[in-house]
Amino acid sequence: MKVCDLCGKGEATMKVSQLDKEGKVTEIAVCAECARQRGFAEVEKLKANAAEILTELKTRIDEADSRLVCRSCGLSYAEFKRLGRLGCSDCYVSFHDELLPLIRRIHDAVQHVGRSASGGRKQAQMKMNVQRLREALSGAIQDEDYEKAAALRDQLRRTEEE
Amino acid sequence: MNPPGGVVGKWLAATGPEADVVLSTRVRLARNLADVPFTHRAKPRDHERTIEVVRWALADTGYMENGKFLDNEHLAEPQGQYLIERHLASPDFVASKATRGLYISDDETTSLMVNEEDHLRFQVMASGLDFPEAFTAAAALDEKLEGQLQYAFSPEFGFLTACPTNLGTGMRASVLVHLPALVITREIEKVLRGAIHIGLAVRGLYGEGSETKGNFFQISNQKTVGQTEWEIIETIADISRQVITYERKAREYLMKKLRVEVEDKVFRSLGLLRGARVLSSDEAINLIASLRLGVALGIVNEINLEQVTRLLILVRPANLQVMLGESLTAAERDERRATFVRETLVHP
Repeated sequence: MKVCDLCGKGEATMKVSQLDKEGKVTEIAVCAECARQRGFAEVEKLKANAAEILTELKTRIDEADSRLVCRSCGLSYAEFKRLGRLGCSDCYVSFHDELLPLIRRIHDAVQHVGRSASGGRKQAQMKMNVQRLREALSGAIQDEDYEKAAALRDQLRRTEEE
Repeated sequence: MNPPGGVVGKWLAATGPEADVVLSTRVRLARNLADVPFTHRAKPRDHERTIEVVRWALADTGYMENGKFLDNEHLAEPQGQYLIERHLASPDFVASKATRGLYISDDETTSLMVNEEDHLRFQVMASGLDFPEAFTAAAALDEKLEGQLQYAFSPEFGFLTACPTNLGTGMRASVLVHLPALVITREIEKVLRGAIHIGLAVRGLYGEGSETKGNFFQISNQKTVGQTEWEIIETIADISRQVITYERKAREYLMKKLRVEVEDKVFRSLGLLRGARVLSSDEAINLIASLRLGVALGIVNEINLEQVTRLLILVRPANLQVMLGESLTAAERDERRATFVRETLVHP
């Protein structure tokens, strides 16, 4: 009969791995009583628990990722992982830290060095405004709100003239 | 000799550099508008607005003078398949349920998809190995459009795209090459592995998975962040030049050691193309590819590279039907394809 390494009395029924002060892993044989007192789990049970722990970890990560949400489009990081696509330009800000390692893995780099976007702001803004006004105008006409339509038409004319 | 029917884009002219091995060069750029969610997340109204704004930008920059814009209704099948075969639109784009639009230049060198995975995906194709041509044209379009639109961009990550795999330059540069000799001499794996080793992607052009028909391959970059556009292009251009050298060496070897066998294969292919009454798309591509080798090697003189390259497009199912102006069953297509090919390749 192998004797318990801890109490020297009971029959050792299980092996437990321990990390000592220098960081070395040693295995000791313990009896059921000592194991219970010190809260050691059986190694076998530990293996089963390991699987559970991983599942638990994964669930926790998924939950955290579901809570991490883009401030503009509402996409969650969990959804991004599922779809493989981000929702809008702001996702790159909302998920900045999470995306960095992913980008590094794909491209072996995280800093863009090619061409830059520069101007076009004014023109672009104007085009978008005009488009929105056109849509509102068409909506007003459909609703037969001709006063509103006339006002929008004037506004549209002024914007297009800029 | 003017073959019957079928006009194809300028980039198929096969007059570009290294046309004996390289069919075409393509530069594609992905861009998104700043204040609109990416396509899959945007609402139909956003989609429509994006199309209007881009269409307007194309008009203001003069591109509509030598091109046309196709609306959603004109992108469904069979038109969609036609565009895919001509490399003007992607299968994802054609299959998409989002409201989308497509600009195509009259000479088919330039096309721009609106509301594919990104708001804008535009490309320029050039004949042979010609990145200067393809890239300068793509960059010019990019700059002109940018003067009218506001792109999603960050100094850190570059041009922002729906999928991080396209981030940064948003550029996919590729060449389409024909490597029959390397396949015959079984050196193809080694050569292509060299490309993959430096981070490029290689895939067979026709056929699924490992079944590549006609020995056509596409070599493209995979990484889009961390290098300038020109650095990426130089990498592909360098590998392309190496591949060209290997293919030509292998062709020389074949002509020296296996001349009769090569001629036999080429002339059997030509014989079938001139004689068959039924030709499937796959068989036609394989035969035309052999013919292309024969033309490139000077074994066949009465046909030129341009005619062969045109044929490669026109025998595809949708292109064939559009050219003939009829909707056909698979069996009818096989018969009409054979007829069209015979008429194209008549003895002078």
